[in-house]
Amino acid sequence: MKIKFQLNGQPVEAEAPIDETLLDFLRNRLRITSVKKGCDLGECGTCTVLLNGKPVRSCLLLAVQIDGEDVTTIEGLSKDDNLNPIQEAFVKEYGFQCGFCTPGMILTTKALLDKNPDPSIEDIKIAFEGNLCRCTGYDQIIESVLRAAKLIKR
Amino acid sequence: MYQDYLGEVKKLLHGKDYKVVGKNVIRVDAIEKVTGRAKYTTDFIIENALIVRAVRSPYPHALIKKINKKPAFKIPGVVAVIIGDDIPGENQCGYYLDDQPLIATDKVRYIGDIVALVVAKDKESAWAGADAVEVKYEELPAVFDPKEALKGDFKIHNRKSPGDVKVIKGDVEQAFKECDVIVENIYKPGSQDHAYLETEAAIAIPEAQDGILVISTNQGPFRTRNAVARVLGKPQSQVRVITPYIGGGFGGKDTYGPIISSLAAVAAEITRQPAMIVHTRYDSFVYHFKRCPFEIRFKSGATKDGKLKAIEVDYLCDCGGYAAHVIGLLKRAAYHSTGVYEIPNCNVQGIAVYTNNLPVAAFNGFGNPQMLFAVESQMDLLAEKLNIDPVEFRLKNALVPGSRTGTNQLLDHSVGIKELISKVAKKADWVKKRSKQKRWQSETKKRGIGIGCSWHGCGTTGFKHDWAGASVILNPDGSVTYSTGIVEIGQGTITSHAMMVAETLGIPYEWVKVELNDTSRMPDSGETHAQRGAFIGGTAAVDAALKLRKKLNKLASEILKCDEDEITIEDGIAYSLNDASKKISFNDLVREMYQRGISPAEYGFIKARRGYPDPDTGQGDPYAAYTFGCTIAEVEIDIETGEVNVLRLYPGVAAGKILQPDVVRGQINGCAMLGLGYSLTEVVERENGKMVNPSFTDYLIPTIMDKPEIAEFISVEDEYKYSGYGAKGVGEIAFIATPLAVANAVYDAIGVRFYDLPISAEKVYFALKRK
Ligand code: FES
Ligand code: FES
Repeated sequence: MKIKFQLNGQPVEAEAPIDETLLDFLRNRLRITSVKKGCDLGECGTCTVLLNGKPVRSCLLLAVQIDGEDVTTIEGLSKDDNLNPIQEAFVKEYGFQCGFCTPGMILTTKALLDKNPDPSIEDIKIAFEGNLCRCTGYDQIIESVLRAAKLIKR
Repeated sequence: MYQDYLGEVKKLLHGKDYKVVGKNVIRVDAIEKVTGRAKYTTDFIIENALIVRAVRSPYPHALIKKINKKPAFKIPGVVAVIIGDDIPGENQCGYYLDDQPLIATDKVRYIGDIVALVVAKDKESAWAGADAVEVKYEELPAVFDPKEALKGDFKIHNRKSPGDVKVIKGDVEQAFKECDVIVENIYKPGSQDHAYLETEAAIAIPEAQDGILVISTNQGPFRTRNAVARVLGKPQSQVRVITPYIGGGFGGKDTYGPIISSLAAVAAEITRQPAMIVHTRYDSFVYHFKRCPFEIRFKSGATKDGKLKAIEVDYLCDCGGYAAHVIGLLKRAAYHSTGVYEIPNCNVQGIAVYTNNLPVAAFNGFGNPQMLFAVESQMDLLAEKLNIDPVEFRLKNALVPGSRTGTNQLLDHSVGIKELISKVAKKADWVKKRSKQKRWQSETKKRGIGIGCSWHGCGTTGFKHDWAGASVILNPDGSVTYSTGIVEIGQGTITSHAMMVAETLGIPYEWVKVELNDTSRMPDSGETHAQRGAFIGGTAAVDAALKLRKKLNKLASEILKCDEDEITIEDGIAYSLNDASKKISFNDLVREMYQRGISPAEYGFIKARRGYPDPDTGQGDPYAAYTFGCTIAEVEIDIETGEVNVLRLYPGVAAGKILQPDVVRGQINGCAMLGLGYSLTEVVERENGKMVNPSFTDYLIPTIMDKPEIAEFISVEDEYKYSGYGAKGVGEIAFIATPLAVANAVYDAIGVRFYDLPISAEKVYFALKRK
């Protein structure tokens, strides 16, 4: 089926098989490999994208469901090497190690801070409950979110 | 041959403070990782790559009577069906021992053993093809309990055990007679899944001149290359392995990397087309090898003045159907079985036993978390009997410079454990909490505090070789090209290498570029495991950089007409310490090198400074140096549900020079959480050796909600002089200490001791009911 949607602010038109997940569609057809497949079952959060600004798991959606919608992947956050404040915060606070969860973490941060520019640690924990990270122990991710909030407010 | 690298570097820097080492820099991989550009194996999308699906045994132990490929070919899209006999080279993928065919031919030894590969144009055909292949088995009696396997009439291989280990020192029998207290127990620390977020995957692509390129999730590019060369029957020079970013390894991809790479390579070689194999999360849980379960009988004794006298330890490692990584972890466990203490009499005997369980992998700690769980539980039990505070008891016995280990290795320097224990205890306010805690008890919640101490030899265990290479090339514009075979699995090591190269050359860190990990253009650095990435890999980097630095100093002294000893290079300027007006920029200096025909490239190559313990007595020097860890945990137990809530962790390490403080903190906190999972929630449930809870819903790794407060880590910088900048490894140590501290804290809280891991809420609940 032909679908039309906004991807990182640009209109996109593409052919999507009706049974293909948004995750496979983005990775295999549009070659957006920043969206990661950690489980394909909705359990890990590595495939997080923003759908109309809200974090969703792209492995649980079908590509055809985004027809007419607005999708953001991490590519939508920065141009070239001009990092978005959230990305800058993740660099400075070491909010990543292997990096496999990182695109999902950064997009979740964006959704959180768009809604709540001054989150408490508890707010952060709730927002990231579905995003697993096996490497960092989460502390530096929380610190990255807090720093990002500060950077954005400046 | 073993250089005092620390001394040499300090001399070159004329005793000045480091400019790069020990600072927090922007990681080499940072920008790529936060922009999503970092490429992992499956991000290399190869047009028209064939998809490989393994046909796996549904039986834990069976003879393969017949394999019928034909039905698979009825599925359009199936290109090839490969069985063991089709393998072009040797059908063998064992890690230490040649006991594991890549594709089983005569029998299968665990549920999931591979009997064929189906190669197809698309995923659907590959999966359907794999279901269609007909395999006739004749079931054999299977065994899942290692003790039964040892006793009973089971023939999984032509011998029951792939290996054993002994550490024999002093006179244990006599020593126990002189002990005032003796404690003896059986411990059963269980399995654990690595559960890295990136599953195992490999892509193989035929290349020019009959070569083959493999891109895969591995932790040992050269071991992977050699494994692939072996199954393909090709010279190693014809196999090239690219190891891109890895989405977490923790040892698991050290074991499974060469295997999955070989599967893709065989498919690509036979079809002469690119081929890829990717594990689903289910595959990863059910088929990739995991932490080895142990059963340990541990007897220890001390005199009433609180001195440890003797240990007697027997243990079994259930290695599953093939030896894989078991021999290394079996030995490592024995060589660390005294814990961080001086014990003059030891009789330690360990044996690995084949069963029909899933085989075992390297996993953070490599046998040590299992053994030290027993050691540290025993320490608390002894302390209680002796009526000595557990911290005090540990301090009385802790290793100090000049101590000898259970393997009789003399530790002459870099032994910071005693200072570390004191500092961590102080930070955690141990004395106060340990007594006051007793009084803080509500009706439903009980609190406790516990300590765990760990040590971990850096580098591989002394029964196989341990070397590492690195290369540094100075470019005419002053930029530097650095190559290492150490893999970036998240731990940040390649950044440490770049920092050490920059510091040694006297240039800004940003001038050093770390090359893509490709075996065709970098030196063999061994595997990225055993806390050796910075320790041994990094020393090779320093070795190469030092050679260049000496040349640069000499050249600068000639140009500036001064003594070589006066030359220093800082921030990319070489100058005389006696007359700062005599100076030349780094790039001019390098250009001059080129013009004078002085080679601007150097290769560093080093070997770990250690020996090979005697196989009969285990006496010798199995590791070059040891990193020490100490963690204190505070827990709160809900006595109605049995749930153990870890409130606070106080970690500490004595890991030599800390190269990147914030990265080390990340390692420590990450390890602590991995350790928390092993302590409390990560239960690998098995039926007939097969994992039956293969999802993140049923296998519970810690989420952000489970995160306790983790205090800023304590570091005792007990520098090791034979490594670059005095660093030791740090990747595993904090993991090991966590479960030990948690288990001891649980006992402190409720007075129930658990002799197996993990300590699930269910276990606590029933234990409290029984009480
Ligand atoms: S891949 Fe979608 S949640 Fe894991
Ligand atoms: S950084 Fe590795 S999973 Fe989060």
